[in-house]
Amino acid sequence: MSDESKSCATPSNAEPTATRSTVPMWIFSATLVLIYLGTVYFDHHSGWFSAKVYSPYANVDELELYQPKSGAAAQLARGKQVYEQVCGLCHGVDGLGKPGQAPPLAESEFVTAKGITRLTHIPLLGVTGSIKVQGKDWNMAMAAMGAGLSDSDLASVLTYIRTSWGNHAEVVDADAVKAVRATIKSSAPMNGDQLMKMPE
Amino acid sequence: MNVNEKSNGDCVSPSQIDASCRVPSLALFGGAALWLVVGLALALIASIKFHQPAFLADCSLLTYGHVQAAANDLILYGFAIPAALGVLLWIFARLSQAELVLPLVPVVAAHIWHVGVLLGTIGILTGNSTGFAWLEYPRLVFPLLLVAFILIAISAVATFGQRKERELYPSHWFLLAALLWFPWIYSTANIFLVVWPVRGVGQAVINWWFVNNLLFVWLALVGLGVAFYFLPKLGGKPLHSRFWAQFAFWTLTLFGTFLGIPQGAPVPAWYPAASALASSLLIIPLIAIAIIFVKTVCGANVSCKGGPFCYIKFGTVAFLLSGLMTIAVSCPHFSQITRFTWFETAQTQLQLFGFFAIVILGGAYEILPRVMGSPLPFPKFIRFQHWCFMLGTLLLVGSLAVSGIQQGLHDYSFDLALPALRISTLGLFFLLLGSLMFAANIFVMTIKWNLALGKTVLAAVIAPLKTAEVKS
Repeated sequence: MSDESKSCATPSNAEPTATRSTVPMWIFSATLVLIYLGTVYFDHHSGWFSAKVYSPYANVDELELYQPKSGAAAQLARGKQVYEQVCGLCHGVDGLGKPGQAPPLAESEFVTAKGITRLTHIPLLGVTGSIKVQGKDWNMAMAAMGAGLSDSDLASVLTYIRTSWGNHAEVVDADAVKAVRATIKSSAPMNGDQLMKMPE
Repeated sequence: MNVNEKSNGDCVSPSQIDASCRVPSLALFGGAALWLVVGLALALIASIKFHQPAFLADCSLLTYGHVQAAANDLILYGFAIPAALGVLLWIFARLSQAELVLPLVPVVAAHIWHVGVLLGTIGILTGNSTGFAWLEYPRLVFPLLLVAFILIAISAVATFGQRKERELYPSHWFLLAALLWFPWIYSTANIFLVVWPVRGVGQAVINWWFVNNLLFVWLALVGLGVAFYFLPKLGGKPLHSRFWAQFAFWTLTLFGTFLGIPQGAPVPAWYPAASALASSLLIIPLIAIAIIFVKTVCGANVSCKGGPFCYIKFGTVAFLLSGLMTIAVSCPHFSQITRFTWFETAQTQLQLFGFFAIVILGGAYEILPRVMGSPLPFPKFIRFQHWCFMLGTLLLVGSLAVSGIQQGLHDYSFDLALPALRISTLGLFFLLLGSLMFAANIFVMTIKWNLALGKTVLAAVIAPLKTAEVKS
């Protein structure tokens, strides 16, 4: 405030003034650090603006994990769980397989076939030697990873891989798996040619 | 006031500016003082009912639900807002170094406002409350209060437009923002809750948003605007500094608006998460305000002696405490203890009485002798009232806060809460005593002024006409 404008005011009536000292950098830094920590908290607790996620759940995945399921949804959830334990290590949780180790399941002709005879043989007996998937030769050995699974668990896994990652094949029920298992006599791993000779 | 001060040229003398605020100040402060006394008396009745349930229980007008809501709204709408507007008008006129523009508009508006509060209070006591916290006044009152506020804001902004200095003083930002803030939040909340109610849990969200924006942000904007004016003025040291104040203003308005959704509210998780995020950031404006306060007040060459400077110092410290309590309540871990306890009430009372009422009353005591051009009738009451308010706030807020934490930590037992409730009643009694002193000062002043006015009019009426005038 200039001195001129104060000319008619006595000192006791003078209007207050403010100094022009600047704000130090530390408080801006502290603000930014707090904003960062705050957004991390928000990221962990907000469910990202989902209208379905209420406290104490923190995100959509957690919410779904705790929801009781029935029918097809329950089978799919069980299938996903078993798949990630038993199959996912080699075939990948995204179903794309791993080069030199395991062929992809996404859009594989064995997985999406109409029938499940060939498909069910693979986990029950394992595979050895060459096998052609999506026009590409794979030469590897797979153990009988599914031999120890119950009919319903195996049906769930097959359903999961037949309906995930862009696959749209029909679901599999435990009776169908049981029927295929009943036809198996030997325990020797299959090779590609043997599989192709079977009906779908 | 110095009688020798006369206008020379463009310069308007401070005493002329003060005189232009006289009638609006009396209208706003007078009603506010009355409502503060009535509101605190009702709050006292409500508080006594906690340990004497039979007290006034047979009168349907004075049941707890009616009395508590009426007391809250009287203290907020009856006292806090009009008194704040009275201080704001004077500060705007002084900072503009111009007389108040349209001085009659705030007078009319003050009467509309006080009639609105009277109707609202009758509505609540007769059981016609809307049922929304801090928004209990029936639908009819909403347009009255909104129009009255806007009228006063028009006069304030017109005075602001007359300012001689182009550069704004920090108080300008806070007070101008408050003038825009209230019509926005009050109309939004009323339209969506009272006039055309939204459905479901949206009501609770709007109510939380409104209560936080009014009780925390609006009160903070006005109270700090007033404090940033009077602290340097009375302390005789410049405010430290305009950039710090700017920083505090933007961070407070930015982070403050998101608060208010309690943890565990039955709404999607991102609402309380956003509130918790904003509340942790609230520490930044609090640090800034604390630095402004300490650097402005330390070394100020004024002995306080319970005068207005003391009021505003106490109020600013109370605001910092109330801000810390707000942060604590929004913090997920701490809120598990304090949710639904007396602690939340304690925070609100600290904000209302410890911070806002004391700052505004300090401002009013500083303004009143200036606008009336005569000393207060009971100048000693200023000091007594300061002690009453300090003691009252301490007893009320301290007892409720401690009791709230006890409630959260232990199983709730009535024996545990009873002593704290008794102490809080005592605190309210001291607040009521203090408010009576303010009311006594302002009413005696108003009566004296009216008598003097009447004498002047009477003298003019009965004065003998000069013969020369009769002849011509």
